[in-house]
Amino acid sequence: MAIDERIVTEAVAGLELKGNEEGLIPAFGLYLTKHFADYYNRISYGLLGAFIRELPELEEDAIALLTEAGHVCSFHTFGGIMLSVEWDAVVKPMIESREDWVKGMIGVINALGWGQYRLQELVPNERLVLQVNHSYEAVGLLEGYGKASYPRCYLASGGAAGLMNLLYQGDITKRPSLTEEYYHEVFGQAHSFRARETRCLAMGDSHCEIIVERQQA
Amino acid sequence: MKEVVPTSDIAFDVERGTIELGGRRIVAHCNHYNVFLQRTIEDGLKERAPRLLTAAGSEAARKLLEGIEAAAPSSSAEESLERAVRIFAEHGFGAFDIAQLGERGGVATMLRSHYAIGWRSRWGVRSTPGCFFPAGYLAGAVAVAAKVAPERVTAMETECHAAGAERCSFFVEVW
Repeated sequence: MAIDERIVTEAVAGLELKGNEEGLIPAFGLYLTKHFADYYNRISYGLLGAFIRELPELEEDAIALLTEAGHVCSFHTFGGIMLSVEWDAVVKPMIESREDWVKGMIGVINALGWGQYRLQELVPNERLVLQVNHSYEAVGLLEGYGKASYPRCYLASGGAAGLMNLLYQGDITKRPSLTEEYYHEVFGQAHSFRARETRCLAMGDSHCEIIVERQQA
Repeated sequence: MKEVVPTSDIAFDVERGTIELGGRRIVAHCNHYNVFLQRTIEDGLKERAPRLLTAAGSEAARKLLEGIEAAAPSSSAEESLERAVRIFAEHGFGAFDIAQLGERGGVATMLRSHYAIGWRSRWGVRSTPGCFFPAGYLAGAVAVAAKVAPERVTAMETECHAAGAERCSFFVEVW
């Protein structure tokens, strides 16, 4: 059976992820929040704006930090989900190849509220191209700051790179522990995957496009 | 039995990959991302970071809660605040005790804050309170409940589980 992303999306969206008596949502080995896009956008673009105004020579460093937050997100969130009993129950029965793990995870992402992710191209162990519609980062940037002159979806970019790193730089299918050491093993290598956003809704494009490839040493 | 004011339904649009509540986008993220991003802001902005983090929490809460109030108005400030903290808990941030909080301000406490637990599990005890988003959320919620300008409400965390306290406490003032 091939992966049916829509089935995955609807299954994850149908999970009753709601705060318990402590107001917490333990799921996938993590504590989840159903957070507010407005908050993430204000603090992320607030930080970036301060750097652009006051330390323009460090703008790229600020972008790298925000993208690194996306790497951390994907490592723990995507990794935690792919190691979870929910994944085993819903997605794993449909998996026939390593590439199906990517497709299954895209189905999950589409239930997280981040926007609609579409797989455009996947060359195993080499390249991933994603189309993202309604990216919450780009929508928030446009609403709060106006049209951008360069791509601004740092969480989406970091997350996409993380997906490839978890599957082809590391090997999430072998159920590793998601430790700091493993994080550095999959993200900290000279040829680890990195993403670049080539189109962005915030720049006036019809959608965002993210390309993930291995870094050149 | 006291009637519970609806929190307004979360709307999931499978075609767009979007979730909305009160007309605002909702996005799922875990403790690791939340505290890593907060630390990124704190490292980058130093002593200015708490102002941005708290103001952003207040703004986000206000936009969301105003949308919900417009669709299903509360009958009193107390009811509005109760709904706000119920949404906060349902969304995984922790359970506020607001017995000493009202439209004129006061004190709120929380035993298990998502941000405090997330911070301690990743980096251990910090030297200063770290629940900026919850503080901002409280300020926004009180502003909406009291129907006052957001600039008139300030909230500050006075003790924090992330800084070693048993629970988190927040002092809210309406000016």
